Amino acid sequence: MRGPKKIAVLIVAGLFVYLSMYTWNLRTGHLDALSSYTGLDVSSFILRPGLWVSDKVTGFWDRYVFLMGLKQQNDELLDENSDLKREIMLLSSRSRSAERLEELLHFSPPEKWEFSGARVIAQRMGPAGMLDTVAVDKGSAFGVDADMPVVSLDGIVGRILNTGFVTSSVLLLTDSNSRIAVIGESNRSPGMLSGKGYGEMLELRYVNLNAVIEPGELLLSSGLSGIYPKGLPVARVSKVQRSDISLFLTILAEPLVDVAGLEEVLLLKRAPVNPASEAPDAPAGEEATSRGADQ
Amino acid sequence: MVQISNIRAIFWWGTYTILAVWVQKVVPGVDFLAPGIVLSMQEEAGHRTLWLAFIWILLQEGMGNLPFGYGVAWYGLLAMFYIIGRWLFEARSILFMCLIGVGLGVLHPLLTYGLASLGNLTVPLYPSILEGVVQAFVFPVVWVIADRLFPKKLRQDVRPL
Repeated sequence: MRGPKKIAVLIVAGLFVYLSMYTWNLRTGHLDALSSYTGLDVSSFILRPGLWVSDKVTGFWDRYVFLMGLKQQNDELLDENSDLKREIMLLSSRSRSAERLEELLHFSPPEKWEFSGARVIAQRMGPAGMLDTVAVDKGSAFGVDADMPVVSLDGIVGRILNTGFVTSSVLLLTDSNSRIAVIGESNRSPGMLSGKGYGEMLELRYVNLNAVIEPGELLLSSGLSGIYPKGLPVARVSKVQRSDISLFLTILAEPLVDVAGLEEVLLLKRAPVNPASEAPDAPAGEEATSRGADQ
Repeated sequence: MVQISNIRAIFWWGTYTILAVWVQKVVPGVDFLAPGIVLSMQEEAGHRTLWLAFIWILLQEGMGNLPFGYGVAWYGLLAMFYIIGRWLFEARSILFMCLIGVGLGVLHPLLTYGLASLGNLTVPLYPSILEGVVQAFVFPVVWVIADRLFPKKLRQDVRPL
């Protein structure tokens, strides 16, 4: 009888210690930080040399060997560039007039955001990687912090979940635990966009039955959660259904970003408040971001 | 003074870790380090196994995105499976390794669901069940490959009868 009793006591004691450690970490986050600053960074050191070699080889192939269609692509890009220049010219005059009107009406100026590029080095890894995340090659050494917005040129990608010293993991907008406060671009109906898992549509929740929203409408971040800047594109409405038993519409939306094919992302950070930054000659990148946030 | 066998062990387990991390990048949700823990226990490496487990727990927790605790429970229960299973099976039999693989395959969705519930997170169960199935198949295969490639000079045990 002594043997089984001893084993039972050991199991109960082990369970107690484990759950105490788990709940202590949930409250403080110390062990998560320890694993991010060790495991996440070490895994990135392991992966980086191989990724560097792979980039060099594919880069060499693309630049010097595989030149098919380069002239055609160049012509297309020149056309696109001229279209964009024309569009910027029209929009910048409208933007300046909007700024003047806001100033006349004493609106407080929108927050300025700085952005920096980061490279995706891995999708989720290991048995404990059950959330939809990607790892990027910038961490706290580059000023990356938890909950920083992550975007691509197509729209919002997600937010920073954990940071190591030189690596961070990004919670993608497709994950079931992701929530983004959004607003319709044309009809301005607000809602909460949540993920339903990789490869699934996003779900727009808490949109009233009488709200106006149409398939094809672009959803922009509303800025209400305090994490994302206002006005960044997130998803496009693909299906709107009226339910007889719910107080809210059932709406599905398609993310604008192909999370599986992500290679580079932009990390957004609030610019420090500086009286000089209010001057009209702000850097082009910052200006573009704040203008987007002002929609 | 560092012994040559220790240098050899560091080199071998370092290479194993690098390869396993790269394979885990390609095959998400599956643990390729777990067979190494069992192999190290079979070699009766003592404190070396503890060091490996400590480093790999940090590695898996860092690469993963659940709250800290998965790796501790995962490798702790793996060690328990092995120690209990040794009472019934020949430690190096492939059947025993297949059973441990099945055990880990069942454990993965249970542990994921349990820890996600404790952390108030939503985790889709279907992918974790699929990953569990893959884990069950992968474990004995990786163990066989690692066992074949394990340097003879590092072996501290005797071969099975």
